[in-house]
Amino acid sequence: MKRQIPLMIVLILGLLFVAHVFIPSKLSSDYLDWFMKWTKVIGPFAIVLGVFSLVLVHYNKIKRKAPNWGYSLVTLGALIVTTAVGFIWGIQEGTPYMWIFKNFNVPLGATMFSLLAFYIASAAYKAFRARSIEATVLLVAAIIVMLGRVSIGQAITHWIPDITEWILNVPNLAAKRGIALGVGLGMTATSLKIMLGIERSYLGGRD
Amino acid sequence: MKFADRIQKVDRRIIYGILALAVILPLVFRLGLKTYTTTPVEDLYRHIDAAAGKDDMAIIMDFTHDPGVLPELYPMDLAILRHCFQRNIKVFTISFLPQGAAIIQLALSEVKEDYPNIEANVDYCNFGFKPWSLKLPIMLGMGDDIAEAVETNSEGLKLENLPIMQNMKNYDNIQVVVEISGSSMGQFWVTYARAKFGVDVAVGLTAVMAADVYPFLQTGQFVGSLGGLKGAAEYEQLVDIFAMNNTEFSKKNARNMAWVEAQYKELPELAKLYKYNKARIGMDAQAIVHVLIILFIILGNIGYFLDQRAQKKKFVK
Repeated sequence: MKRQIPLMIVLILGLLFVAHVFIPSKLSSDYLDWFMKWTKVIGPFAIVLGVFSLVLVHYNKIKRKAPNWGYSLVTLGALIVTTAVGFIWGIQEGTPYMWIFKNFNVPLGATMFSLLAFYIASAAYKAFRARSIEATVLLVAAIIVMLGRVSIGQAITHWIPDITEWILNVPNLAAKRGIALGVGLGMTATSLKIMLGIERSYLGGRD
Repeated sequence: MKFADRIQKVDRRIIYGILALAVILPLVFRLGLKTYTTTPVEDLYRHIDAAAGKDDMAIIMDFTHDPGVLPELYPMDLAILRHCFQRNIKVFTISFLPQGAAIIQLALSEVKEDYPNIEANVDYCNFGFKPWSLKLPIMLGMGDDIAEAVETNSEGLKLENLPIMQNMKNYDNIQVVVEISGSSMGQFWVTYARAKFGVDVAVGLTAVMAADVYPFLQTGQFVGSLGGLKGAAEYEQLVDIFAMNNTEFSKKNARNMAWVEAQYKELPELAKLYKYNKARIGMDAQAIVHVLIILFIILGNIGYFLDQRAQKKKFVK
């Protein structure tokens, strides 16, 4: 029963959603309204669950003095302080919450993302080689697009931005659409497998 | 050590150092490179501008992005908000990420200080943070009734009682939803809001995501897009040359660099503030870095081919 009931819920709700999309009627519209109300009630519990799980994982790490437990201390400290200042003084501009956001969250986030530029530069120098015809085509396309996406490309000749637009609008678009179709079909197949109980890994444990 | 080996084995720290200089120097000493606008950005500008002065039309700006992508996306946030406040376009802001709510506060307060007549809940309304798990009910619910789906603004006030909502009911009153993010969040708006209710959707994305939107642009599922810092720089320029002069958009003028230069000479002081030029200043650095990376690729490949040739010669001997 531990497995049958969840599988039945998935099958019934899955079929109801398929029916809602393909058989438009008042009944299916009412069903969606009913579902939305339930989602609004159940959804926020995910936050409670997430916070509880985060605290539990890091608390245990600190308690066991696991490797790098100091980071867990910082995580929990940040969670408690940010939540507390948000509750006490609010989250509007000019509050301590916004000070934390502007002086910790923004620079730390931007630093992490900006490291990408250094990795790309290093990879471009050390790994981006014209070893084959395919790699050469990719390399030439990359150079044209990089030039075409900045004003220097236009300054050299208007052909560079024009070719850049063509690369993005034709070969890139065709490849992206092919991938999207593949992903779409894969998602449909996986959804069917879940609804029919063939794919059960989301239930956890063994089949 | 041979020349080919030397090129191949350059210390990473030298590459990092040169790159850091290529980023920092153009930011300190402005090059003032020109900005050329492209169709997806012009389309988005034109689309938003069509709501100018209309009491029963608004745009939705979804700030579902975190601080990591602010250098690229924040200039977009500011440019679109400035466009709306300058041209009297109503704005709803929302975020499905908690950090996004803080970014909304930051952007609104930064632009609002230059537009003292703009009032919260009258000219714009900040819906604030809504949990990720509620995105589906909110996206679908707004198709019937925005006030019922969103319920409260960021201050906890009931939407139905706010002056801005007097002429607003559902997506029929939404000119365009602009999703600004470093993810594929825009596709959710297409799947749920556009497919079911026909609302127009546009996106502002990081440069690495920009190539993903072309299939959606071709089909019209996205009515426009801003790709990375370049997209933001183009939008900043369009706001400067059209919105700041309260003139209608014209593609012909936007592409005429002599006309654009002439508009720049007559800009009000407000448009010259650093915060409204961030993307264009950043594009100077980006242009130099792109050229530098191209040089790195060429140098790396010269070293590779010299090395290959030397090895072939050795093999023949």
